Amino acid sequence: MELDVLDRDYMCSGHVGCPGCGAAIAMRFLLKALGEKTMMVIPACCWSIIAGPHPQSTLKVPVLHTAFETGGAVASGIRAALDAKGDTETTVVTWAGDGGTFDIGFQALSGAVERNEDFIYVCYDNEAYMNTGVQRSSSTPYGAWTTTTPGQEWKRLRKKNIVEALVAHRIPYAATASIAFPEDLVRKVKKAKGIKGSRFLHIYASCPTGWRIPSEMAIKIARMAVQTNIFPLYEVENGVRYTINYMPKGYLVREYFKLQGRFKHLTDNDLEQIQEMVNEDWELLLRKAGVSMSAAGTVA
Amino acid sequence: MTEQMLSPIVPTPLIPRSFTTTESNKTGSWRFLKPRYDEKTAPCSAACPAGEDIARVEMLVAQGLFKEAWETILQENPFPAVCGRVCFHPCEGVCNRKEFDDAIAIHTLERFVADTAMRYGIQPDIARRPVQGPRVAVVGSGPSGLAAAYFLARLGYTCDVFEAKSEPGGILRWGIPLYRLPVNVLEWEIGRIRSLGVEIHCNHRVSSDFLRDAGDRYQAVFIGCGHHRNVDLGIPGENLDGVEEGLPFLERVRAGERPDLSGAVAIIGGGNTAVDVSRCALRLGAKPVIVYRRRRQDMPAFEHEIEMALEEGVELMELWAPLEIAPHADGYRLVLQKMEVAAEEGPRAQVRPVPGETREMVVSKVLKAIGNAAEEAWMEPPEGDGKLLRLANTALVRRDDGPVLVYGGDLAALEKSVAHAVASGKEAAMALDTYFQDGWDAIESKVSACRVGQGPSLSMEMYLGGERCRRNPHVVAFQEINTDYFLFSPRLAQPRLLKEERIQGFSEIDLKISAALALREAERCFNCGICNQCDNCRLFCPDLAVCRDDNPQGRRINYDYCKGCGVCVVECPRNAMALEQD
Ligand SMILES: Cc1cc2nc3c(=O)[nH]c(=O)nc-3n(C[C@H](O)[C@H](O)[C@H](O)COP(=O)(O)OP(=O)(O)OC[C@H]3O[C@@H](n4cnc5c(N)ncnc54)[C@H](O)[C@@H]3O)c2cc1C
Ligand SMILES: Cc1ncc(C[n+]2csc(CCOP(=O)(O)OP(=O)(O)O)c2C)c(N)n1
Ligand code: SF4
Ligand code: SF4
Ligand SMILES: [Mg+2]
Repeated sequence: MELDVLDRDYMCSGHVGCPGCGAAIAMRFLLKALGEKTMMVIPACCWSIIAGPHPQSTLKVPVLHTAFETGGAVASGIRAALDAKGDTETTVVTWAGDGGTFDIGFQALSGAVERNEDFIYVCYDNEAYMNTGVQRSSSTPYGAWTTTTPGQEWKRLRKKNIVEALVAHRIPYAATASIAFPEDLVRKVKKAKGIKGSRFLHIYASCPTGWRIPSEMAIKIARMAVQTNIFPLYEVENGVRYTINYMPKGYLVREYFKLQGRFKHLTDNDLEQIQEMVNEDWELLLRKAGVSMSAAGTVA
Repeated sequence: MTEQMLSPIVPTPLIPRSFTTTESNKTGSWRFLKPRYDEKTAPCSAACPAGEDIARVEMLVAQGLFKEAWETILQENPFPAVCGRVCFHPCEGVCNRKEFDDAIAIHTLERFVADTAMRYGIQPDIARRPVQGPRVAVVGSGPSGLAAAYFLARLGYTCDVFEAKSEPGGILRWGIPLYRLPVNVLEWEIGRIRSLGVEIHCNHRVSSDFLRDAGDRYQAVFIGCGHHRNVDLGIPGENLDGVEEGLPFLERVRAGERPDLSGAVAIIGGGNTAVDVSRCALRLGAKPVIVYRRRRQDMPAFEHEIEMALEEGVELMELWAPLEIAPHADGYRLVLQKMEVAAEEGPRAQVRPVPGETREMVVSKVLKAIGNAAEEAWMEPPEGDGKLLRLANTALVRRDDGPVLVYGGDLAALEKSVAHAVASGKEAAMALDTYFQDGWDAIESKVSACRVGQGPSLSMEMYLGGERCRRNPHVVAFQEINTDYFLFSPRLAQPRLLKEERIQGFSEIDLKISAALALREAERCFNCGICNQCDNCRLFCPDLAVCRDDNPQGRRINYDYCKGCGVCVVECPRNAMALEQD
């Protein structure tokens, strides 16, 4: 397969992301699609570190490092400043982790998109507070070990469905994307760039360190999350028009779970239960997209 | 006042601003595993007796580079148009794609690129060494002799081929019927060998004296006389008038004779000759019956040929051995003995007669095709000679009083097939070149350095020090392919004449395929172990440590920054990389 992804990079070598960092790959793809007329807001997260210690920056676009909870608000301000200067060309992007999006930054995000601020909000999702040492977030999936859900206290709550929360704001564009599907990811970023108003991208970005997986499996596991319907690829326009971008081939969730240290305590029973939850979520998504179950080949 | 004092005061920024990149952090120091490019061996190429670089050929076809694909085959085999038609393609039997959906139609693509070159009258650009001293005589112009001459000519040796018959080609010319191999295809391929300066002297039967006297003119003689002596059945009546041998019968038909046959015709034997004789007899009006002493699965004929014969209407009688042929008013009376399986060891079952169970059948003609052997003793490699060097598909003899002798093709190869004959011609050329350049003792090691995978297939490209030398001999297994990058897609269906059309005459059965079909089929190939420039490794690197480069690989890994995560290695769809301890 030839991947039609733009050649130019707006990121440098020498960044301090861990080996196999999915968030670094996600940023590479995002900037390939956006190009240099981009201003970025990064609230506290791994990427605050990856981007480089002062006076270094690994990105070739301007970045404003901001407080953890302010991603939506700061981007709104930058957009207003650019508008005042008459710069309509530059795309303003907030790039935040799942903690900064699902949890502490949710208020600022919700406020900004409710006002339909003209910016792209990207959440790169590594399913925990990784920068501070793997604490659980409301994005951490059911079944996962983190340092705050250790041993038998593993997380028994479902992952928040952040895309649906944003869709409920009826924003012009919300989509999921994965580092294992670069073409789809780049297409969605370009599409988002061409839309005015609030756009939300939820990018699945594996974390070898926090997930206890071999670094070389970073892409493979991200791909499996899609193949198993754990992380479906879809997009929603204006809060109503759903399109599913990838139809699964019937992989079982256990294949995905058994490769990861953060799930190693789960029993067969737990995995069956998780399979049911995944099926349920998938069927719900199919209904929203108006796709019949038989056409989608759901895993029984 | 100076200009400087007039310039406005630059305000201190309200927030600190970065002004350098991260490139001074040499994150390569974090690494404890190291990825590298490591092209490996595809199973198909190791299974191809001629060692063709199939993974690369299919890559070139998929890129639309048909001429380059053809030249890549010609590196290893002078007969792609022939082999694309008649080779029994062991490559496809081990194709990794088989584990996914269906094997690649390797032979169909081989034929396609050759036919395309033939159609457009393209000349190949293939490197040749300048002419050098030693001259080589080749006895027999079958595929082994012609392949030996082809490779020797490319290595710079002058070759004279001596052929007893009126036209060159051996079994390709006189045995394999036209419905499988049109004569213009063979002539085109032989023409290319001639254009290398190889002289083919037809109607020139060589005798054992030649081996004695050849030393005046030749430093080596390749003996590729094939197996042309008919083996006797050893039963009464086998020499009756009209009881005919299979190979001469095929030869008559290829020479244009169309004997009128009708009624039941018995063909005795189970090899390729028996099957082709039966199919010719069918086309000449007979109702052919193959009488074989073992079972279908024991027949040495290629399975595909048996299947086609039965489909066309040839009948097969398994586990019947002939006891006697006698004259009969309507032709011949054939007495048959029922056989049964006694033991299953080895490639073919052992059979024994079932006491008391015989039958008779009346047929209009009997054709014997139970096998062939070397015509004369001197054609066979001498047993137990101290100066005999046995390689996989050839045997070499060094003599004090004459040129070096190399026995090849059916006389010495591992199997009797066209591809093995080509393999032996190639092996002979490598061995003789090594002998002339570095002496007798260097032959074995230099030849074995050209093995494809674990061998015995050999690569001339490797012998000549080409890119293929860098390949790791490790044969890529299906589990080592990242199948996430491939979609299910069915193998192309070979277009063929209808059964009714086939038996009307001797027209070629397998029809041409379109370029569109060829491209699609070639795209199915995993290109096991070889880089097809998909660029995944560069795309997914989190550290931007894979860079474009104008080296043959097309890219290099910048170890200043590579942290050794290994993502590139896992995401290489075809296992063209390796991850190892730094
Ligand atoms: C009917 C039939 C069908 C076959 N079908 C297939 C097939 O579909 N696919 C496949 O892979 N293999 C097939 N085979 C096997 C294959 O054809 C042989 O293995 C192959 O041709 C052997 O090549 P060779 O060069 O050793 O000998 P040959 O092809 O037999 O050529 C030997 C040549 O040497 C000449 N010669 C012999 N003695 C002398 C002499 N003293 N002086 C000068 N010239 C001499 C002969 O005239 C002949 O031209 C088939 C064989 C037969 C008999
Ligand atoms: C108000 C506030 N509380 C806590 C922190 C410490 N802190 C910095 S990054 C971070 C975790 C961020 O998690 P997430 O948003 O998921 O990004 P990740 O590090 O996983 O990429 C925390 C808790 C902070 N910077 N500010
Ligand atoms: S997939 Fe291609 S390279 Fe691999 S074994 Fe089959 S034909 Fe050869
Ligand atoms: S990933 Fe693609 S470009 Fe890289 S080595 Fe493998 S085949 Fe070649
Ligand atoms: Mg996180």
